[in-house]
Amino acid sequence: MAAREVKPTRSELLEIKKRIKLTKSGYKILKMKRDGLIIEFFKILEQAKEVRMKITKDYELAMGKIATANAVDGTIAVKSAAFALRLHPEITLRSKNIMGLVVPEIETNSIKSTIDQRGYGVIGTSTHIDDATAAFESLVETLVQAAEIETTMKKLLDEIEKTKRRVNALEYKVIPELEAAESFIELRLEEMERENTFRLKRIKDKAGAREVETAS
Amino acid sequence: MEFAVVGSEEFVLGFRLAGVRRVYTAQPEEMEAKVLELINDTSIGILAVNANELTKIGPNTRRRMMGNISPVVIPVGGEEGDLREKVKSAIGVDLYKTERD
Repeated sequence: MAAREVKPTRSELLEIKKRIKLTKSGYKILKMKRDGLIIEFFKILEQAKEVRMKITKDYELAMGKIATANAVDGTIAVKSAAFALRLHPEITLRSKNIMGLVVPEIETNSIKSTIDQRGYGVIGTSTHIDDATAAFESLVETLVQAAEIETTMKKLLDEIEKTKRRVNALEYKVIPELEAAESFIELRLEEMERENTFRLKRIKDKAGAREVETAS
Repeated sequence: MEFAVVGSEEFVLGFRLAGVRRVYTAQPEEMEAKVLELINDTSIGILAVNANELTKIGPNTRRRMMGNISPVVIPVGGEEGDLREKVKSAIGVDLYKTERD
């Protein structure tokens, strides 16, 4: 490790070998997680693009209808219809699990209503107001769908980025440093072994020479 | 949790028609303050805004807005703006690129 001194002992070497093994298997698993997240992401991407387009379409349609209603029935009629009491959309949030990530599942009670549920009188309003109402109800439904999809996408993207960073950190920093420490220790141990052998040889030679001296 | 909408009179009227109760009107200058206020309201599940009315909102608020979970802020009528940037940064490829770009 660049940051700490490695003791060139055999037990350190064993420790490091164990750590390398563990880290490498963790690295493999993280890579799988990253790839799995990306696959999930691509599934959602298509949905996200579609729902975005649908929002724009629904919105344009709805604005057109309400403009017509304003023109034909007058803004006052439209406003009073809007202020009539009626069912309102309620949202229930549930969570589901994608690759270990918690993402929302949004449900609404039915936004779409029949004419008698809308609170404004049938007689005083024309079909244009009804059309506008239906168009906006559709828009709200689409928006709820979009909320679920876009939130899921954002969470997936954040998790992908985090996982990517961890994978890279392991691959380019942690594992190479561990392997460098491993080879450093192996080298030093080899050196010490050679030193020892050389020292033993010298001592044996000296002892041998002394024996020869005392013998003669 | 409820569905809420904030924007100009013309924008929000249609939503009121569709039965949305939490309707807030705000001019573009007032949008930033109103959005910040509504983001902190956890009784709101989804907040719809008009993409064209977000011009006076600063980059910090915009980032908070788009990253918020409860409520989720959905811009209507614009393009996929910040999602595109996030995708580029996380995946490395601009997946929203079409032949028109």
